Amino acid sequence: MSEHDDAELVARLRALWSEVDPAPASLIDRMIAAVAAEGLSSEYALLTLVEQPLGAVRAETDALTLQFSDGTTSILLHVTTTANGRRRVDGWIDTAAAEVVLVQGDRERTTRPAETGRFAFDDVPPGMATVRLTTRVGDEERTLSTPRFEL
Amino acid sequence: MYHGALAALLISVITMGLMIDGAPGDADLGAEDGAARWVRAAGLFDAWRDGDSRAMDDLVRLMTPVLWHVVRAYGLERMLAEDVVQTTWLRLVRSHESIADSRAVSAWLTTTARREAWRVGRGKARVEPTDAADLDAMLPTQTSAEDTAASSEENRRLWAAVRALDERCRRLLRVIAFDDRPDYATLASDLAMPVGSIGPTRQRCLAKLRTLLDSPRPQGAT
Repeated sequence: MSEHDDAELVARLRALWSEVDPAPASLIDRMIAAVAAEGLSSEYALLTLVEQPLGAVRAETDALTLQFSDGTTSILLHVTTTANGRRRVDGWIDTAAAEVVLVQGDRERTTRPAETGRFAFDDVPPGMATVRLTTRVGDEERTLSTPRFEL
Repeated sequence: MYHGALAALLISVITMGLMIDGAPGDADLGAEDGAARWVRAAGLFDAWRDGDSRAMDDLVRLMTPVLWHVVRAYGLERMLAEDVVQTTWLRLVRSHESIADSRAVSAWLTTTARREAWRVGRGKARVEPTDAADLDAMLPTQTSAEDTAASSEENRRLWAAVRALDERCRRLLRVIAFDDRPDYATLASDLAMPVGSIGPTRQRCLAKLRTLLDSPRPQGAT
């Protein structure tokens, strides 16, 4: 069989798959929206989850420890479930931070870490969250954000 | 200089595409337009990096259908496939700086999508590719939907023949049908075969498909 015949058969296959299993009609619009939203959030430098052993450890006691870092700044979050099913987040940050913001949907809570870099949020509802923090090195202010994670 | 030449090529290829099929809006571009697609992708990517945010929308329109078929070739169910396509786009936005040559953006996208599809597919502990030929029989809803989706007698015959192929052939043919410049190295590792055997395997799969098409009653046609 010639290359031309092969190309023709491959073209027929392409038409076939486009017909029997096309991409969902709304997929392109949803991807455009996702990329646009990503563009907005990428104004913050992203902290990434550090791999095990300290990355994400869910202990038997239903406590979760997450560590995020961008190589310069690290943040450690220790999440515990309280008796009423709410969450308590104890955090440590290794850089002088002006403020730490816990974002859950439209809700934002802001706190300032102590000298030791410790901070805490109590009585937090379970669900998806991100933590954003503003650090100051010299005159330069940086805002960093974790990816979304589940509390 | 170089950009000027690329733009000229771009225009001539697009014009040719218009003359051939007269359907510039068709998202699933054919092999005849294969060169146009990766060149267009490069042009849009350059424009986006130069600050034209609309160019990214056009790049998403151009490449999303391709990514869909490439990911679905790995047997992921539709919701998972959509997730993988989205992950691929977000990764492009996040790590576009790692793509030095914009002409590579099309291949970067399809390769990233295939790697992610392969990873997710493995995470779901699916059956081995070689055993998956029988899996179709266990998915009556999905296959019947796809069976009836083929509109012409010719396509129904072709679909029956495709379904009678083994999973590896089906995957390989679907990837090469949509990915105009597949990266053979990652494709080979996904299909657990040596890089050098991709070409011959492609030939073998096409030959098998022809045999199935030529036989009066293709296996798998019920």
